Amino acid sequence: MPEPLEGTFSADHSARLLRNYRYVVERTMRAIGGWIALTPELSAKLLMGRHVWDLAQHCDAFGQRLPELRSRAQVSEAANPAVATFMDSIEDAEAADQTVERLVGVYGVLKPHLLATYRDHLARANPVYEPPTRRILARCIDDEERHIAAGETILRYLAAGPRVTERVSARRRHLEGLLAAAGGVTGAGLPPRAAPEIVVARAELSDDAQEFIRLEKATGAWPIPPDLEKAQRSFADAFVAGDDAGLSRLLAPGLELEATAWALLRGTSYSHHVTVAFARLGHQRLVKTRLDGPSSSATVLARWTSSPEGWRIAALDVVGRDAVRPA
Amino acid sequence: MDRPIAYDKLAREERFVRMRAREVAELKVAQGLPPFPDLSSGESIKERVHGIMVGELQAMEGAGRSVCDFPDAPWDFTMDMARQVWDESRHVEIYLRLLEHLDGYAGEYPETTILWRCACAEDAAARVAGVNRGLEGLACDVFNQLVHIARKIGDPILERAVDFVLADEITHVRMGSKWLTKLTEGDAERRRKAIEFQESIDERFNLGGVRREGDHEAVSISIATDVRRMAGFTEEEIERLIKTTQRSQVY
Repeated sequence: MPEPLEGTFSADHSARLLRNYRYVVERTMRAIGGWIALTPELSAKLLMGRHVWDLAQHCDAFGQRLPELRSRAQVSEAANPAVATFMDSIEDAEAADQTVERLVGVYGVLKPHLLATYRDHLARANPVYEPPTRRILARCIDDEERHIAAGETILRYLAAGPRVTERVSARRRHLEGLLAAAGGVTGAGLPPRAAPEIVVARAELSDDAQEFIRLEKATGAWPIPPDLEKAQRSFADAFVAGDDAGLSRLLAPGLELEATAWALLRGTSYSHHVTVAFARLGHQRLVKTRLDGPSSSATVLARWTSSPEGWRIAALDVVGRDAVRPA
Repeated sequence: MDRPIAYDKLAREERFVRMRAREVAELKVAQGLPPFPDLSSGESIKERVHGIMVGELQAMEGAGRSVCDFPDAPWDFTMDMARQVWDESRHVEIYLRLLEHLDGYAGEYPETTILWRCACAEDAAARVAGVNRGLEGLACDVFNQLVHIARKIGDPILERAVDFVLADEITHVRMGSKWLTKLTEGDAERRRKAIEFQESIDERFNLGGVRREGDHEAVSISIATDVRRMAGFTEEEIERLIKTTQRSQVY
């Protein structure tokens, strides 16, 4: 039985759809490229780093197909102004503590919609005279399935906890509203999410989200020598207690308490502390401590040096106030 | 979106300790240690690998910013930068796993941000000259030497992994050479400024004479002349780099 010659799209319409796809994919590619530096969490950084190149290739494939459909090469076009507004909103989550908002926008809202749109297009693109477009769509579908699965895995990891879950829901509702108002990325309405499944071969392309999470969590316990750990605990306890004398006893000769972070933070109420980093600097050790209180937090960095009297602080600096927490 | 962003917006997890490169070097010298890990011991190899890992992280972030910051640049430029982001993200994973292989961890040594600062240059031509030619050129020197040392100490995991990363870095230098030429076509002043920026970076990363011409085991960072030729550096450029390392005294 030969494939039917009856088609759904004109060449011009097909070109317009590709320009519409290229518009949102190009903006997404540039956004996630820019976000890598603004995102603290390693797992999310690696995820975005892996996907920028796939999206660039999708854009390139759409853009190269355009002249074959009597359109200019490598041109992007928003289907309507509301699509541009939707993309502006996707992009506006730029703060360091908005990783979850960034991931929800791209992996929770846009990409599932793109996947459904590509599947819908593929189902309707004529197999006799649209194979070039179909091949591009099949590749994009394969990548988007992989991206969504990886993105959702990282999102679940970073968005654990009721407060973050509420942020996820609010962000999703907001963006889905804008997307619906735009009529989807083509302006023609939202295709059903459960468009017919297309079976595509899955390649090993190493965007394994579980591995990214493992690498983020791999540090485990820091190799802090027991005597330094004891000194560090005394230091942090004294800081929380506001114990000048206790802190002074831990300073190396020549370092005055007034010349340290203490002078900047004295009088602020902190209720507990946690060690957040431990690094080597030659024979010395760097310990970063986060101090949390009812109204504020601060992060201090102590440079410890070993002496016959035990570990002593050679320098103490404030390295963050009301620091950004993961996710 | 903000384009470009201020260099102090670079986001990190709390487990990293960020310090000025100069301060790190001075504090190590004050302890009677070399300012830069010299590959003479397992500990110094681990420290070097950690330094490379954060360099790859910043290279990924920098290339990502180039994808974002220059929407009006030629499309092929964006394609090359996007490809570089993918490469660098794999390099980050490789070096994180090499750190585990060497019993280390991310955040074990302070992170300096010279590479990232270079990646914040406002002009795309300066960025590719400084990062792709200056810093990825340095990476060619460092990785070539690391492959040699890994072979010598019998660590095939380190040797093989770094060998493949080195192949990517050579490609990135070639991209830098291509785009330095294309982006500055017909604009001699822009080209001059970009090259000047690259040379200032070369000078800075000579690390007060740490990088030199010489045998892998005799100098801390040996200039990989053959690899640099393969990456597209001219004889004149290699000669000039060797000369600057001889007069570079300030860290």
